Amino acid sequence: MVTPVTTQGTQLSAEQVGYLTAGPGRAAETALARLIDAGLVRVSRDGLVSAVHQNNHGATTAIEARILSYARTPVRFDTIVRSAAHSTEMSMLHQHLLDRKLLQRPRRRNEGWWFSLVIAVVLVLLGFVALEFLLGVPIAVLFFLWQRGRKAITGAGREALLRVTATDRVHAVAVYGFCGRVNRRPVADLFELSQSIVRMLPLKQNRKRRSSSDGGGSGSSCSSCGSGCGSSSCSSSSGSSCSSSSSSSCGGSSCGGGGGGGGD
Amino acid sequence: MAGIADLGVGIGWRSEIDLTVERLPGVDFVEVVAENLHIGHLPESVTLLLERGVPVLPHAVSLSLGGADPVDLGRVEHLGKVAEAVGAPMVSDHVCFVRAGGLDSGHLMPVPRTRDALDVLVANVELAQRNLPVPLALENVAALLEWPDGELSEGQFLAELVERTDCWLLVDVANLYANARNIGTDPERFLDEIPLERLAYVHVAGGVDHGDVYHDTHAHAVLPEVLGVLDELCSRVKPPGVLLERDDNYPSDTEIASELAAIRAVVDKHRG
Repeated sequence: MVTPVTTQGTQLSAEQVGYLTAGPGRAAETALARLIDAGLVRVSRDGLVSAVHQNNHGATTAIEARILSYARTPVRFDTIVRSAAHSTEMSMLHQHLLDRKLLQRPRRRNEGWWFSLVIAVVLVLLGFVALEFLLGVPIAVLFFLWQRGRKAITGAGREALLRVTATDRVHAVAVYGFCGRVNRRPVADLFELSQSIVRMLPLKQNRKRRSSSDGGGSGSSCSSCGSGCGSSSCSSSSGSSCSSSSSSSCGGSSCGGGGGGGGD
Repeated sequence: MAGIADLGVGIGWRSEIDLTVERLPGVDFVEVVAENLHIGHLPESVTLLLERGVPVLPHAVSLSLGGADPVDLGRVEHLGKVAEAVGAPMVSDHVCFVRAGGLDSGHLMPVPRTRDALDVLVANVELAQRNLPVPLALENVAALLEWPDGELSEGQFLAELVERTDCWLLVDVANLYANARNIGTDPERFLDEIPLERLAYVHVAGGVDHGDVYHDTHAHAVLPEVLGVLDELCSRVKPPGVLLERDDNYPSDTEIASELAAIRAVVDKHRG
């Protein structure tokens, strides 16, 4: 599996790209995509995923191993993504991204948000005594809004995603999701999966692309199971050329485009 | 029916591997388990294969034609409707019983090879044939036991069944191998005794050794020995079709393709 290298030298696996882009659901989709790509699981027309081998053979990550374990008996496409997204292995990936400071710890992100609100209320109350106190209210409110709007993804995380290259169909899933589109072509088509299968995943509206001149990413995709990005939109415009290094390529199309930051 | 059209090499269609079956090169025909299909709501994959002109043959597992209970005509009717829905030239089931006394065995049970049991089987087969729109082929089963007081060998039993009912034979070479391993029957004698001109097609399947017992699992690779029995059969007659059955633990597309290629190699060896 290709590991994209960013400008800062930060290496991200496809799962990490998926997680940073749209959370654990997208990371789970990405792991499943890699397994399909490698022929380690098969998906039937009615969306049942089953492992080709019964011993987790071929798994390269803990999340892939978990998915293979789930798929020893046929499991619905959406169920396996959801299960993987809520797995211990996914929590470990989340922790890993926190440790690398690509994501912010939820506690740090949320701590103190209420403090500015309290200050604002106190300033309003003091405004009844002396109007000068009211001048501080807009500042407190703006600080409050800034705190609420802070993204789960860190600056380093955004930077790492900025130049992620979707070199193959697995990365196309990481960036756009199975329900996304690459160059107006459904990502699902790259895996010969019908829309009825990928639509099993809950639809999520992706953040608008930062640029529309880079090949066309998805406007929306089904990034299932919420997001480690919290309420943030993890922006990444990943201009890329899908060079189809494997047999399971994007069919020669350039799958560049803004890596639409996943919703939550 | 004058004869069976050349079917080629096929594979059992199962919903878990529907896309695999669609994509595999060189699949000349498929077989569907009739009980798993609903009339009026054929799987998209089966419809697609039919549109491609791939013959689809319904295979039943629940008629229990060897049983002493009355034949369930509802099941026969369903089989016939599936045959009509897919435009099949024939249907098939097994020489076995699967229920008795209101209980389902969950397994294809061998029939006692007595003349009394043959009479029952013949009556049931004739009743089924009268209610089916297409010819019926019957398959030899794998057995882990032989009923006592058998009067006929398996080959003789099937030969007389064909003679009296004009049914076709679906020979499962994996079952022949399993019976040879488990109860000591002789596949070559079987092939000597059955009317090979009534051969509809052939099943090939995998299994696994479990101690001294060979389990005809349909969930493991096809053994070379099973291909050896196919080879023996092909040396005597050109089978109209040969079909790979895989019911569980599906391997990679590549492995399935390899098994089909191995089967085709055996068949072609005798066609050259």
